[in-house]
Amino acid sequence: MSGEIILEGKGLWKRYGSLDVLKGVDISVRKGETKVIIGPSGSGKSTLLRILGLLEPPTKGEIYFRGENVYAGNLNLNRIRAKIGFVFQEPSLFRHLTALGNVKLGLKHVLKMKDEEAEKKAMEMLRLVHLEEWADHYPAQLSGGQQQRVGIARALAMDPDIILFDEPTASLDIELTWEVIEVMEELARKGITMLVVTHEIPFAKEVADEICFMEEGLIKECAPPEIMLRNPKTPRARSFLKRLLGAYGGI
Amino acid sequence: MISTSDFIFLLRGVPATLSISFIAFIIGFAIGIPLTMVRLYTPRIYASMANAYVKVFLGVPVLVIMLFFYFGLGKYLPPFRSPYMSAIAALGFRSGAYQSQIFKSAMNSVPRDQILAARSLGLTKTQIIRYIILPQAFIVALPGLGSEIALLIKDSAYSFILGVLDITMHADILRRAHKLFLAPYLAGALLYIMMTFPIANYLDRLGSRLKDRYGLR
Repeated sequence: MSGEIILEGKGLWKRYGSLDVLKGVDISVRKGETKVIIGPSGSGKSTLLRILGLLEPPTKGEIYFRGENVYAGNLNLNRIRAKIGFVFQEPSLFRHLTALGNVKLGLKHVLKMKDEEAEKKAMEMLRLVHLEEWADHYPAQLSGGQQQRVGIARALAMDPDIILFDEPTASLDIELTWEVIEVMEELARKGITMLVVTHEIPFAKEVADEICFMEEGLIKECAPPEIMLRNPKTPRARSFLKRLLGAYGGI
Repeated sequence: MISTSDFIFLLRGVPATLSISFIAFIIGFAIGIPLTMVRLYTPRIYASMANAYVKVFLGVPVLVIMLFFYFGLGKYLPPFRSPYMSAIAALGFRSGAYQSQIFKSAMNSVPRDQILAARSLGLTKTQIIRYIILPQAFIVALPGLGSEIALLIKDSAYSFILGVLDITMHADILRRAHKLFLAPYLAGALLYIMMTFPIANYLDRLGSRLKDRYGLR
């Protein structure tokens, strides 16, 4: 990959109390790239994503968005957050708003679109995730998979430069997982820049440009899927993948 | 038992009871919302001042607050020389503390995921409070607000001590006039229940229905 670096973390360190969750992570994602992060639970994947999404500051280290150090000087963080989409592990839709209302909110209040314009754009995004017929439904009336797809539409609507996905299918059963993964694959093929924490190996194999293995607060190894899935360098990545791939009956 | 004309006499207390309770509720709302904002979203020094307000009004009997307004403040501030105004003020200020408790727990009930999601869209803190937290918190708060209105209606009876002509005062007048001891108070009690129960029950049901519809916790 040789495009412009959209998002980069340098020496990211995060400490909660006396616990070091991240211990100096370096990571970068280039324009159009799909990067997947895998790793055991507790390895710091979600924390890394929240920090890269500017949802919480790192204890140490720098984050660059399109070359700009976001925590240096006084940049408007909200403006940058709007350019970094985020899809959460648990469906995090606004419960009091319809699917359409969820997608419209940022368009109206952050991008300051007029109501009609926002509505048109929001419908377009719901169409992209195959939910235009569910526009008037409240989250409580949608399945987990549908809720996640609305969440994707909500992130996508802002025309972000990158979207971060934090295990978006972890709380879904297998059939619902597929419908979400399918939408994500479509986005990857469209060239949307994505950083995805997931253990959906078929997804990683299909669309990832690179898979990174994370453990104990560090990225231990990054490689293209064909290398990472067959012959990872580090023994821990090897044993982790062996178990993970076993769950898929080998790939 | 109590005669029809006596019951109609008792009804003359209803306007005072209801107006005191509802004006106090509105004052409590006007205090409770900003107080909650200060407690949740401002630097510790302001938040702890707001918390102190809540602690004081939660810890003192409302009768004492009423006497303080009427006899204490009334000495220096003419509006509080009116028993009616003192009763409204005392109940209103205390209701601010109670309503702040209700709103605080309702606002805290909005899941953190939604707040992070809103932040990731680039919404400012103020926008998140206005568009995400408050609309949901109001629904969650409805049953609590219903109980608070009922409490105000009941506690407005303390204004009788200051001489306000509310339901309780009218019941007491009947006791003195007719040497009837049970009937006036029972009739008065019935009136209070007829006012408190429907309101509290309605808001409770409305709250549960909306919570179910939106799947709120």
